[in-house]
Amino acid sequence: MTRLRNASRVRVYKEEQDGRKNETGSGKTTLIRCMNGLIPQFYTGYYKGKVELWNGRNTVETPIADLSTEIGIVFQNPENQLIAMNVEHEIAFGLENLGIPIKEISKRIKESVSLTEIEHILDKAPFELSGGEQQRVAIASILVLEPKILILDEPTALLDPYMAKKIINLLNEIKNEKNITIIISEHRLDLLLPYTQEIILMKCGSVIEHGNCEKVINGKNFQTLSLNKPVIYSIFNILKNENLYYKNIPASIPEAVRSLK
Amino acid sequence: MTSEIPIIMMRDIDYIYPNGTEALKKINLNISKGELVGIMGKNGAGKTSLIRTLNGLIKPTQGNIYIENENISSKSIANLSEKVGIIFQNPFHQLFANSVEDEIKFSLKSISLDKEKIQIRTDHILNQFDLEKYRTRSPLNLSGGESKKLAIASIICRDPDIIVFDEPTLGQDAKEIEFFINLIKNERKRSKTIIIITHNIEFAYEYLPRTILMADGQIIADGPTKEVLNNEFLISNTSLVLPQIQQFYFALLEQGFQEVVDKMSKTEMINYLRNILKKRYSKI
Amino acid sequence: MSLEFLNAFKFMKKKTFVHNLDPRVKLLFSIIYTISAMLFVEIIPLLLIFLSLIPIVLYGKLFKQWIKSVRGLSILILFIILLNTLFISLSFAIAMILRIYIMVSAFSIFFLTVDPNDLALSLISMKLPYEFAFSFSLAFRFVPTIANEAQNILDAQQSRGYELQKKGLINQIKNLFPLLIPLIICSIKRAFNVAEALESRAFGCRKTRTFYYNIRYSIKDWIFTLYLFLFLAFIIFIRIQFNILPNFLMWSLPV
Repeated sequence: MTRLRNASRVRVYKEEQDGRKNETGSGKTTLIRCMNGLIPQFYTGYYKGKVELWNGRNTVETPIADLSTEIGIVFQNPENQLIAMNVEHEIAFGLENLGIPIKEISKRIKESVSLTEIEHILDKAPFELSGGEQQRVAIASILVLEPKILILDEPTALLDPYMAKKIINLLNEIKNEKNITIIISEHRLDLLLPYTQEIILMKCGSVIEHGNCEKVINGKNFQTLSLNKPVIYSIFNILKNENLYYKNIPASIPEAVRSLK
Repeated sequence: MTSEIPIIMMRDIDYIYPNGTEALKKINLNISKGELVGIMGKNGAGKTSLIRTLNGLIKPTQGNIYIENENISSKSIANLSEKVGIIFQNPFHQLFANSVEDEIKFSLKSISLDKEKIQIRTDHILNQFDLEKYRTRSPLNLSGGESKKLAIASIICRDPDIIVFDEPTLGQDAKEIEFFINLIKNERKRSKTIIIITHNIEFAYEYLPRTILMADGQIIADGPTKEVLNNEFLISNTSLVLPQIQQFYFALLEQGFQEVVDKMSKTEMINYLRNILKKRYSKI
Repeated sequence: MSLEFLNAFKFMKKKTFVHNLDPRVKLLFSIIYTISAMLFVEIIPLLLIFLSLIPIVLYGKLFKQWIKSVRGLSILILFIILLNTLFISLSFAIAMILRIYIMVSAFSIFFLTVDPNDLALSLISMKLPYEFAFSFSLAFRFVPTIANEAQNILDAQQSRGYELQKKGLINQIKNLFPLLIPLIICSIKRAFNVAEALESRAFGCRKTRTFYYNIRYSIKDWIFTLYLFLFLAFIIFIRIQFNILPNFLMWSLPV
């Protein structure tokens, strides 16, 4: 985190779900922290370039706290994000900091809680929750700030497969219901690809490709990067290289079956 | 290849935490020498408690464990850790030395070897794990992947007969996982018994011959991976999902692809599709 | 002192009269009892003060945990008896022991019955800056997490042949490094993670912060506060008028 690369001007689009994939140590974490101003405001260092939002604000001049209503980040380890002694207070926390009136806080908590389906654990302490529940609480506590963009840094890393799937489904629902842009940095491509619309590929601190999911998956960069490619991808990639398969490599199983018919 | 008496035998193992939680209930298990076994299950099912009994970190409240046909209840952790090496999930729970070399030497301290032999082993291990270039670097300055390698190296250098991994593929990219797979292949060639706790279904399906499924402190399945990971009931009780290949198999079956076979490996699936596509093009 | 002793200060949620009192009242309680204990060097008054604690322990259903604090102090107590008897008198030693028991018990009751969350809130209502009260409750919140981490670190190191017991003072200190360094590093990493999460949730953003929860003094609290002040007044009165009071109060062992 102490070395920064040139941050190129990143324009943020509305209503998509980005999957950011890359080799470990490529700069994903750093880039994410550039997006809400943690870099350069919290982590200082050599920083060049600008991150601009659609409404003209940028991450150097606007304080992080103000940006938190536009861009929310959910980090990898849910335990280290839960700071209150119970779930309800946890969700209220960000709104408390923003000085939002109590009535409004109650209303937003209700919405956020129903969307993430955590009504049954409102009075529990953070360490009493399972990993999946903790991650949901973390997501709820950011959603409640009503950001237009939600960024998640490897949200399913510490979860078991079923929980991971549920969280990704949840994120998809959130995207649909709330019309927000979701950017996810992930290793578990098999779970994420079926929902992804855009992909940003990174290597050694640079963005080497950014485009439509289908285009990126079928490209050379995706093939050569050391990513945890889904089994479906590997299978169809081999068939494609043997010139037996000419269509686009499928991102999901239904797509795979369709392409074979 | 396998010897007569299993290298690990667990009989009616119970473990209750001091605060009353039942972590292990009536565990019965045999693992033969040289086997490669996966342990899977929901978080909190008892997987980590189970492996902790193997090197004495946890002493069962009931039952007996035999390693190499000896009851281990009276043995100390230091003693058992020479035979059973456990590599835990978070490398930063153990890295502390001034240099990568010192980190390895620390692990070798408790094994009675003379200075020369320690140096030879250290050099050998640094080479084997491609960590030679970091020899003098502080272990805290390594990347996530490299520090995981170092954590593994610091147990393998002790040459235990039984090696246990807790989530070795977590946070690793494809290259690092490949390195890990080669590592366990090598260790198996040396007749080491390997146990892996993992959530990585694709990895387990492809590389682990045998899988033990746990739920609520009990073993609910124990058998060939391809059997165990294909049972819908078991999968839903252990918070897992079907491996992608199996999902693909079911989807194909549903859509009328009659000749698709259950429980194929990746290569078999590729061959199957190859045949279909070749037939299709030969018709054109 | 064993780790058991620490359990005498761990908060547990219960629904008793004592638990429901405002944390500020309970802090006042601990302070007043400490002051009372400091006012006397004679056995009988100290014993009476100590005994007056017991109903509160029972009311709060805290007996089991409270006893742990008594047991945990035993080594220290032995030490004190020895030194004090040698240099002053057994009487004095016993009086000192009673003092310690009173102070430890009073604060043990405080920690056992105060929810760290409520404590932070009450500190804020006493006009303590928010950041301080917050760091306070944050520390509490992470105690179980860090304890857990320490155990994991111990497990990981023991799996490499690390042993806890070593001979000699210098060796014992050196032997702590494999535990302390990972613990410190992990704590620092955690601190950064927590800080990032806080910043990303607008911590310290506005000067006026909303407080979703707040605690208020109830009538029960006022009554108890009154009782505490009367108690203190009474004690001070006894102290001042001590010489006029019956002799038995000044009883001490002939040693």
